[in-house]
Amino acid sequence: MLRRTLPALRSVKDGVTDAARQAAKGDAHFPSLRGHPAARVNARESAEGQARLAAAEEERRRGGRPEATTVKEFQVYRWNPDSPGRPFLQSYFVDLAACGPMVLDVLQKIKSEHDSTLAFRRSCREGICGSCSMSIDGVNTVACLKPVDADTSRPSMITPLPHMFVVKDLVVDLTNFYQQYKSVEPWLKTKRPPGGARREHPQSPAQRKKLDGLYECILCACCSTACPSYWWNSEAFLGPAALLHAYRWVSDSRDDYGQERVQALSEGWDKLYRCRMIKSCTATCPKSLDPAAAISALKALHQLRKA
Amino acid sequence: MAAAALRPAILRRIRLSPSPPLALAAAASQPHALARWLARPMSSHDAHLTREEVVDRVLDVLKSHPKVDPSKVTPEAHFEKDLGLDSLDTVEVVMAIEEEFKLEIPDKEADKIDSLPLAIEYVANHPMAG
Amino acid sequence: MASRPKLSGIQKQVLTLYRGFLRTARLKDPEERLRIESVVSAEFRDNARNVDRRNFVYIEYLLRRGKRQLEQLKNPDITGLATLEVKK
Repeated sequence: MLRRTLPALRSVKDGVTDAARQAAKGDAHFPSLRGHPAARVNARESAEGQARLAAAEEERRRGGRPEATTVKEFQVYRWNPDSPGRPFLQSYFVDLAACGPMVLDVLQKIKSEHDSTLAFRRSCREGICGSCSMSIDGVNTVACLKPVDADTSRPSMITPLPHMFVVKDLVVDLTNFYQQYKSVEPWLKTKRPPGGARREHPQSPAQRKKLDGLYECILCACCSTACPSYWWNSEAFLGPAALLHAYRWVSDSRDDYGQERVQALSEGWDKLYRCRMIKSCTATCPKSLDPAAAISALKALHQLRKA
Repeated sequence: MAAAALRPAILRRIRLSPSPPLALAAAASQPHALARWLARPMSSHDAHLTREEVVDRVLDVLKSHPKVDPSKVTPEAHFEKDLGLDSLDTVEVVMAIEEEFKLEIPDKEADKIDSLPLAIEYVANHPMAG
Repeated sequence: MASRPKLSGIQKQVLTLYRGFLRTARLKDPEERLRIESVVSAEFRDNARNVDRRNFVYIEYLLRRGKRQLEQLKNPDITGLATLEVKK
């Protein structure tokens, strides 16, 4: 009974181990996803899930196993401020055979066919806007890139990003998160006077390459809300997402304020040094970025300048 | 001998002379302290409120609040027990007193003011009340 | 002199928020100021009457929403505040 009601909570670290193992095996199956272990795991899971669904349907059509089903239970976190009451998990039963492959497809189907009162953020449905970030089976990720776990024998649990204030259902309050992003001044600051003869800021391919792995961040907040240091000190600690962006501007050859940026981050121990290298951020990032490495690079820059 | 006797006297004079500019410099480095010091004699002579004036004006503020029965307003009244005001009304009253006397009462102090005696006390002891 | 029972932390936050709205209203045009004060006061009183005082989750939610609205109102470009009555 207990196994039936408890959704499978995969640890984030499992995902990383899987990804590492998969990467070591070589890029045999999904060559276009080279260097993107999270996407590779998603692609493999998606392919396996679809094969499993197809097999179950085939089985049922032949009348072999009547218990073979493509209907899966989804437990979705519900809380509406306007109808007083405690938050709860609501179960929806969705036929995966008549639904898209991603968790976002399931949510869209629930909203359009089962319950239009369900609230969640979504926009691009291709992992570039960062709107649909949520916790799916205990792992922070963007719903549009996360394939549905096709194992219909156990329910999937969908909850808002952990440790955030909920506005409604799966929508969380990101005011503080955006404020922190703003505080790292995420724009090009140059000491060159405006209106010179050269209006462009040229950059060599080698210099541009330094931004790879940094510029791709979509600010979905999966990393910051997976970080225990951020959970306990979200007011003081900037969190992995904001720090990754800070490092992106420090690394930019066109920016002239790198030193000042590092100085500003290290003023007051909390902003940067609350990071204890737990690396949940890197483990959970749906874009396979490495905020932990960016933070340790910032720390190294600061220590080197001090010395 | 005469010159030796004169020396300390001269030195005293010389030492005296730099002290006023020093004091001025010190005052200039603390512009607010200077401003306060300049403002003090004026307010103590002309603008400083008498206690009666404070009491009268606080009572007037209370009496003009829509929820208050003016006949119940006395200098001893408690906002909640005697005038039947709730905590939101109290905030409004304290804000109105603030405005009447051109003060800004910090939240921490404002939370404590729950009766007329406390309000009168606060305003009467406030150096900037006008 | 007996004072009223001590206010809880969350009650103080609510009063501080109310004070913040009234303070911000002072910065607007006199006519708008009156309207802001009446809208804000009606909202606070309505919630004080109707919200279960033990429903902390909801009260904290309202506090956060109120703080966001106050931040908006503090913007000098915002001149006033209007409400819309929705029949339930």
